[in-house]
Formats: sequence, structure tokens, C-alpha cells
Amino acid sequence: MEAARTVLGVLSGKIDSYKVVDGKHIIVDVKHEHLADVVKAITDELGGIYTVIVGNDARKLDGFFHSIYVFSLDSMKTYLLVRVRLRPELPEVPSITPIVKGANWGEREVKDLLGINILNHPDLRKLILPDVWPDGVAPLRKEFNYQSRPQPSSSTCYVPTRSEDVVTLPYGPYHPLLHEPEYFELHVKGETVVDVEYRGFHVHRGIEKLGESRLTYNQVPFVAERICGICGFVHNVCYCQAVEGAAKINVPERALYIRSLILEVERLHSHLLWLGVACHVLGFDTGFMHAWRIREPIMNLAEALTGNRKNYGLNLVGGVRRDVSKDSAEKVFKILKKVKEDYSKFVNGLIAIRELTKRLEGSGVLPSPDAVSYGVVGPVARASKLKRDVRVDHPYAAYGEVSFDIPTFSEGDNMSRLMVRVEEVYESIKIVEDLIDRMPGGPILAEDIEVPEYREGFSGVEAPRGEDVHYVLTGKYSKVYRWKVRAPSYNNIPALKTMLYECPLSDAPLTIASVDPCFSCTDRLLVVDISNGRKFKVSLKALANGWKP
Amino acid sequence: MSRLSWIKTSLEVGVVTKKYPFERVEVPEAFRGLPEFDPSKCMGCTACANVCTPDAIRVVEDVNEGVRRLEYRVGKCIFCGRCADVCPTSAIKMSKEFELAYKDEVVYIIEIRLTNCPVCGKPFTTSRHLTHVSGKIYEEVLENINLCPDCRRRNNVNSIIRSAGAMR
Repeated sequence: MEAARTVLGVLSGKIDSYKVVDGKHIIVDVKHEHLADVVKAITDELGGIYTVIVGNDARKLDGFFHSIYVFSLDSMKTYLLVRVRLRPELPEVPSITPIVKGANWGEREVKDLLGINILNHPDLRKLILPDVWPDGVAPLRKEFNYQSRPQPSSSTCYVPTRSEDVVTLPYGPYHPLLHEPEYFELHVKGETVVDVEYRGFHVHRGIEKLGESRLTYNQVPFVAERICGICGFVHNVCYCQAVEGAAKINVPERALYIRSLILEVERLHSHLLWLGVACHVLGFDTGFMHAWRIREPIMNLAEALTGNRKNYGLNLVGGVRRDVSKDSAEKVFKILKKVKEDYSKFVNGLIAIRELTKRLEGSGVLPSPDAVSYGVVGPVARASKLKRDVRVDHPYAAYGEVSFDIPTFSEGDNMSRLMVRVEEVYESIKIVEDLIDRMPGGPILAEDIEVPEYREGFSGVEAPRGEDVHYVLTGKYSKVYRWKVRAPSYNNIPALKTMLYECPLSDAPLTIASVDPCFSCTDRLLVVDISNGRKFKVSLKALANGWKP
Repeated sequence: MSRLSWIKTSLEVGVVTKKYPFERVEVPEAFRGLPEFDPSKCMGCTACANVCTPDAIRVVEDVNEGVRRLEYRVGKCIFCGRCADVCPTSAIKMSKEFELAYKDEVVYIIEIRLTNCPVCGKPFTTSRHLTHVSGKIYEEVLENINLCPDCRRRNNVNSIIRSAGAMR
């Protein structure tokens, strides 16, 4: 494999061993003292862009904790996984955040969930676990039972980083312009935002732990689909692809086409949903109503193809469960023709309104070098001149068979991010029509599937919001040993720090919306008093009657 | 497109919302709604409970009553239809019923009599399940079909020892 040769050439002398998974992804083993050098070489010489950090409690396998740093080598169409093995008694690893900004969250997550110490990290506050979570309890370690609820402790408390000469403005956790509970603390000087502090993971559901402990292979896709309410099918496909890669399962061609088809239908409805939300944030509710009106036939289309508007429940490891009938295929053309007409009318009308475009142009700028360092994905990356798209960089499903353009803009502002999505809708319509035209016959589900123990699989899928990646390490008794999910917003939200810098306060909600953040994807009611750690269970009725702790 | 054209579009499009629940909403052919269970077909093999991701279908073995009880809770169901896929007797079908926000949770309960092992007297599976399986296996093993797994194993070992003794 040519990519493997190039990688080994650049990294020679610093790595212990390597292997190729699924014929395309390269895993190298590195000692932790060489990690910084290797990461520098990957980003500088190989052009690798940070994707995700996977922490793994592999003590049952080889006696070590694993920390796996994943980089996307877009030009070589491969993912490079750098594995560092850490001593089980005192797992410690140097931070790579000084080299790649995007790794900040990934390292904090590994520390929170697996108790791996990160040395020289600039900001090691808790990210995922709540403040009252007791120290030294790492929920993703194998000895932690998924049903256990540790006693809250009051030893750690959240410390904000604000300085004295700024005014802090809370934006969230509940706010009319946020659809999910997340908290942005905007630091403003006058009318200008100078910094933003993000606190999220209020709706962390522990789905990875659930997948590793209670579910079997073919049950995980249904839970994966519920990671996101908008682009659930993406997670579903991504998980199945990772397992199929690990087990070397050949998926029938027709199933691949059906997957691509539904993925594009999902992108269509997601982008239209976002356009509506963008109009709403801009105060143009007429546009909001029209965007969602145009979206409705696409929801009906999804319903006709899969049975449901959302949560299609279509994928299993090895293929799909339902075939696309001839009738519904014909319906697709009819519906899409109408959608295209309505949509172009809508977009032309939208862009003609100068008050709207003036607010979008030049606000929330993310320069290209910062985009690389944060490892941003999807429309956010493509609006900042990065021609990144998993469908082309790491082809999957049937995307190798169809041709399409990747709309890329160079300004990096809110207008560019809007235009990327606007153009992508046209491309998606083209892809759907193309896929239906070329769809081959044959079976839709691979037969006699066997998933071997302890094999690794890695897979990426281009979600409407960008690159979604899943890592799977298969286990015994038809279960996964480790399942790691990284949704696109996980890489995009940290870039808001740059986008919001020196931006007028009035543009902040718009800029935050321009990322199209999907919080429950990124995160995955109990009231706790932080000062003394007491927990209260509150009924709705009591809350309505003015409950106080 | 001028601002007036937005008004024009709105007038052209008219009202798009439906007056649900006063107006019926049709669901497509492939829709998966409330699963319907046919107790006359169910043989209590528990395949549906094994594939059920949210544990909406649970199987309880009531040894005192001598029944295997299959319980379905609609509040937990995600309507994936995997149970209908795997049911060997097609006792489960996905209906088009989607108005399921009842005050009391709908629970289906199917009870099927367990059969006892003639040797140790322990109940181990349903007689319907045994009948279904006996139609699918070799005749040589049919003689032990009524025994529970433990007794069957003991029986097999004993017969091997006996035949080995006879050979000697």
C-alpha cells in the first residue's frame, strides 16, 4: 500500500510497529516519549488533520490502556491511527494540544472517562462529567458497571476563566435561539465579544458504555441512530461500516446504494432545516416557514423509502433491512423535481434580501490555518477554503460510483457557510437522482456473517454537519469491546473561540448557529446542589409550584 | 426576486398544514407502528425478546404457575420491527397504529404453558416450541426431545458409556 509506505518513510525510527486495517487505515504503535515528534511530523510533513482521540481500557487484552490519536490524511485517502500504550497502574501521556488545538477536548474526555493523566495540558477542567462526579471514578473503565451511580462529591467545582475587565453574558443553557441545553459564556467588552467559554455535555447519555455492556452487534445500530435526532442514519451507517471493516464483511452492492441514497435524503432535509433555522435567527421568520415547507416533501420521501420520517431502522451489520421498491423510486423523481423548483425560488429570494446578506458577510470569520488546527469538518471547513469531504477523501457506500462537486468557499464567514449548504442541496438532489438511475439489483443483506473477536474497525461518514467517525473494537459473545463515537460538532464547536473573537455581540447567536451545532450528538433530571453535593429528585408538579432546594 | 414575490409565493402556496387530529393522516405502506401479537401463533421461542434493543419485549418464566409469559411494553418500544423480522411463526406483525400516547401503558401479555421434563419434573420450554423443533431435527435425536437440557445431556453420556461397555 502506497500510503503506508509514505507514512512509514516519514515516521521511520519513531514507531514500533504498524498494521493496515480494512485495507485502508494505518495503525502505528508509538512510545509515549515519541508522541509529540510523531504528531508534529504527521501534521507538518504528511498534512494530517486531527480527527479524534480514542481512549481504550484494553487491560483485559494486552494489559495496557490505549490512547489512539486519529489523523485524516485526506490526500492519501486514509486515516492514520497512532496508538500509545500506557501503563495500567499509572496511565500518563503528554498533551498534544500545544501542537494541534483541536485535541483539547479529546484529551479532556480521555481523562474524564478513563482516568488517563494528561501532562502539560493547558486546561484540564472537567469536560464531560458533571462537577459533582467523584474524583478517581472513570466510567469507561471496564470495572465500572454501567448501572452504578456513584455518590456525588463536592471536592471539585467549576472554575471560570474570566478576567476582571470583561462582562460575562450567559447564553444558555436554555435560550430561545438554542435548541438544546448548552451553555456559552460570552465575555464582552462593550459590544464586542472577546472570548467565549463553552460548557456542554449536559445531556451526555453514556451511549458508548451502554453499547459496550448491554447490547449485541445488531442492537447497537438502533441505539446509534438515536444519538442524533436529525442525522441519526449517519451514525447508524458509520457504526455498521466500522464493524464490517473489522470483520471483513462484503456488503452487497444494492445495500451500499440504498445507504448512500438515504444518507443524501437525510442531508437534504438537514440542510433545509438549517436554512430555516438560520432565517429564524436572522429574524426572517417568513423564510423559516418556507424552508420547512419545502422540507416536508423530503420527510415524506424518507417515510416512503424507509417507513419512518426519522429513525429509519434500516441498517444491520452486513447490509440493509428493507429494499427500495420501484414505486417509491419513481416517487423520488417526482418529489425532487418539485423540491428543486421551490428551493431555487426560495434561495434566490433569500439572497436578494440585502439586510440578510449584509449581516452574514464578514461576520464570524474562521481563517483557513485555524480551521486546520482545530480540525474542523464539513460545511465549516469547506467555507474556510478546505476542500474536505469524507465522501471523496475516504469513499464509502456507493459514493465512488457517482460524480458530484464539492462546493468550497474561501471567505470563512457566515455567508460562506450558508452558501456551502445552499449549493450542497443541489448536489445532493443530483446524487439521489443518479443513485436511483444506476441502482443495481441483487441481495441487500450479506449472509452468514461472523464477527471475529478483538478486531479493530474505523469508519468515517460525511454527515450534514461534517465528518462523523466511529471506532469499533470487537469483543466476545457478539458484543463490542470498545465503541467510540465522534460527531462532527465535537470538532466544530471549539472553533467558535476564533469565530467569535472581536465579533459584535448581535452576531454571536448567528455565528453559533452557523456551525449548525448538534449538541446531543456531541454529548451523548436530577438537580444537584454543587456547594454541598446534595441531590434532589423533583417532580414536575413540585417544580411548577415553585420548588426550592 | 423582490419582497413582493415572497408575498406572491405565500399566496400561491396557501395553507399547507393539516387539521390533525380532526383530519385523518395517512401513513405510507412501509410504516412501522404498534406491533400486533397473535397469541395463537406464538410458541414462546423468545427470539423476539433476544433481538429487542430497548427490552420492550421481556420473557418471564413463571415456574410456580407453569407458564412462560411474554410481556410487551409500548412505552419502551422503538418500533424497529426486528421482532417481526425474526419471528419464526410470523406471530408478530407491525400495524399502522401510531396514536399510542395513552394514559396507561399498553402491555400485551402472552402466556404459554411450559412443559415439564418427564425425568426430573423441571419445566424447561413450551410444548409448542418442542413440536416446532421436532419437525426440524434428525430422527435419531428425537427420542430425547422431551427431556430438559440437563437430563438430555446425562442421558446422552449414559448411552455412550453403555454402548462403549457393550463394545468391550
